[in-house]
Amino acid sequence: MVSTVKGALFPAEGGVRERILAFLQKAISQGCFDAVLIPVRAPGTDSFTYSLVRGESLLENAYPLPPVMSVQGAKAVSSLTGHGKGKKKIAAIVRPCEARATAELFKLGQVDLENIFLISLDCPGALPLADWAKDPQKTEEAFTEILKGKASESLRPVCRICDRFSATGAEDLHIGTLGAEKGGILLIPHSPKGEGILDCLGLTTEADISAWDAAVNSLTGQRKEQRQKFMEEFKSKTAGLDNLLDTFSQCINCHNCMRVCPICYCRQCFFDSDNMKFAFADYLNRAEMAGGLRLPPETLLFHIGRMLHMSLSCVSCGACEDACPTAIPVAQVFSLVGGQNQEEFDYVPGRSRDEPPPLRVYEEDEFEEVEQSCAGASAQQEAPNA
Amino acid sequence: MPKVLRSNKGTEECLLELLRFLLESGKVSGVFALRKVGESGGVAYSLITDPDTLKEALPLFPLMPANAAKVLSRLTLVEPANQPIAAVVRPCELRALTELIKRSQGSLDNLLLISSTCGGAYPLKTAVNGNIEEKLPAYWEAVKKAEIPPDIRPACAACEHFVPYNADMTVALVGNKDVDKQCLIHLNNDKAEQFASGMAGELIGGEIDSEIIESLRSKRQARGKELFDELGVSEGFDVRKFFDKCIGCRGCSKICPVCYCHVCFFDSGGDEHEPSYYETELERNGYGQVLPAPIFYQLVRLFHVSLSCVECGLCADVCPVDIPLWAVAIKTAGSVQESFDYLPGRDLEEELPVTAFKPEEFAAVVD
Repeated sequence: MVSTVKGALFPAEGGVRERILAFLQKAISQGCFDAVLIPVRAPGTDSFTYSLVRGESLLENAYPLPPVMSVQGAKAVSSLTGHGKGKKKIAAIVRPCEARATAELFKLGQVDLENIFLISLDCPGALPLADWAKDPQKTEEAFTEILKGKASESLRPVCRICDRFSATGAEDLHIGTLGAEKGGILLIPHSPKGEGILDCLGLTTEADISAWDAAVNSLTGQRKEQRQKFMEEFKSKTAGLDNLLDTFSQCINCHNCMRVCPICYCRQCFFDSDNMKFAFADYLNRAEMAGGLRLPPETLLFHIGRMLHMSLSCVSCGACEDACPTAIPVAQVFSLVGGQNQEEFDYVPGRSRDEPPPLRVYEEDEFEEVEQSCAGASAQQEAPNA
Repeated sequence: MPKVLRSNKGTEECLLELLRFLLESGKVSGVFALRKVGESGGVAYSLITDPDTLKEALPLFPLMPANAAKVLSRLTLVEPANQPIAAVVRPCELRALTELIKRSQGSLDNLLLISSTCGGAYPLKTAVNGNIEEKLPAYWEAVKKAEIPPDIRPACAACEHFVPYNADMTVALVGNKDVDKQCLIHLNNDKAEQFASGMAGELIGGEIDSEIIESLRSKRQARGKELFDELGVSEGFDVRKFFDKCIGCRGCSKICPVCYCHVCFFDSGGDEHEPSYYETELERNGYGQVLPAPIFYQLVRLFHVSLSCVECGLCADVCPVDIPLWAVAIKTAGSVQESFDYLPGRDLEEELPVTAFKPEEFAAVVD
């Protein structure tokens, strides 16, 4: 964390939820924004849906940090603004990975952030959807403990190794709760819009954020280490064609992972299109080449195709794995591959809204080793005896 | 007198032998059946052309990784099979295929349809946990006794249509007390007899024992009632309470064999809104739900599929949040089908109620 980061203290009492809601309520009453886009518990149910709220229903039903990620927040922002900006000023309250995915969608032209205040929070992680579906109450109790700061093995695998759980740079304003005193929350602006909220509330960025900064740095260090260790082990289990085939062997081609992915940006998935519908003779030919053809076909190709499309922007949010009915560790695979691809381009998805996606930028002097090996291969083709 | 191919071998072994015979004799060019995939205990449908590969086939494995109708429709959508293929499918899969054919989404040409009296399938998650193998002995014991195997999917435990309609061949499983040492394959028509001719085994006369079938049917009816009562699903129940956990992945539509739209309305952008829509909701109600919006989606889907729903239960099986979609489907589809006296997949010649105009129908509604 850079030392130039500054923040303001918004004084409030209660648990994390109450303090955050107090801030949002105050900001609405001061006219900083008109309403909030936030996970809301539908009355009388265990479920959370992203909704626009303000006033009483905000205080009663909104949950800035629900125990599960039933919908990725970036998808909610794109549902709201995919067709353009609205008239109202909306504060979207999202987890850091959701803020980062929103920034990626911004680069892809699939959200309009002009009237959106993107606000992220320190994220304790989320619990697996499958656990929650089985026993919502028990899951919520476990999450309450996690919110109090208890480390937990019950978090989703990608959350346990997440090293971008705090401010990321994609948001207008970050809410710091880690290591902060109970008397309030830290508001850390990252854009003029974020600063505008502080001005509107009459707050100045003079708070001492060193305790938060230290807590974030320390946990980031731990998580980086955990991530590295985990990925080394995971790589040894999944690398190579046989392991890859086995990892995805139980895929039933439901495409749930694609539908819930905040990044998967195609308006119609290629694999749902007529391009993938072939004549019977083609399928039979393919079967004859190998003795048998797995059906529906292209299960692994689908994952590789999806990976090729979105891995540079993959924020490791884990929504894909949560939605998989056959418990394939799809988020872990995508996080591994995405992380490596991103490193190649020195790109962190959602780090900044202004940083263009690597595939949109031409750099003359990049990946020379690939060029050389390609040149070598074609030279060999021309002179097979060389 | 209907004919039965009988041999003193385990049923699965004998079925595999028949498939191998069909393939090796050139009577078929391929076999469509479940086959082992990977090391973690899963199965997937395969189009098998090599008799050696056929060794990996598990045609009667009690798991349903896809509804075969959806896959066979995909194979024959662009053009009918140009070579004969033997397909081993469950009764509900066969019914769904019939519905898709009625909707011009596939072809039966060149397909030899082999089905069985079905004992049911386990939830997909059972295979994921890797403990399906240990369940198999109890499964086959129950099938032999015409009972409901423990832990099978609720949709199967409540299924009353476990005897196939329109199969060319029917493998006797339910109530076949010697299923592991005696094989009975009913040849339901001339086509089946022609394909089976030359196959080792004796041809005897016989029919599927309707008493045994009825006894299982009544057990399943009773279990169905219990399951519905547990879920609180009854006449006029409020479907909305089931949908609140929905995360909007729409896996239920993607895997549904009879979700027939070429492009789903919900993939078409048809349900997207301008921001003003949500802002108006906020003004009117004090809140505006943005995502997911499952009620509209689920009701539209029910509206589309309920006439052709064969209650295969795959929708519930793929639901990441365990919504009992099978129960919703059975209750709503069941009553829609009943009001038209229509059973999907019973008969290819039976017209879809919405495509047949009857001047005298639903007089009460007309009035």
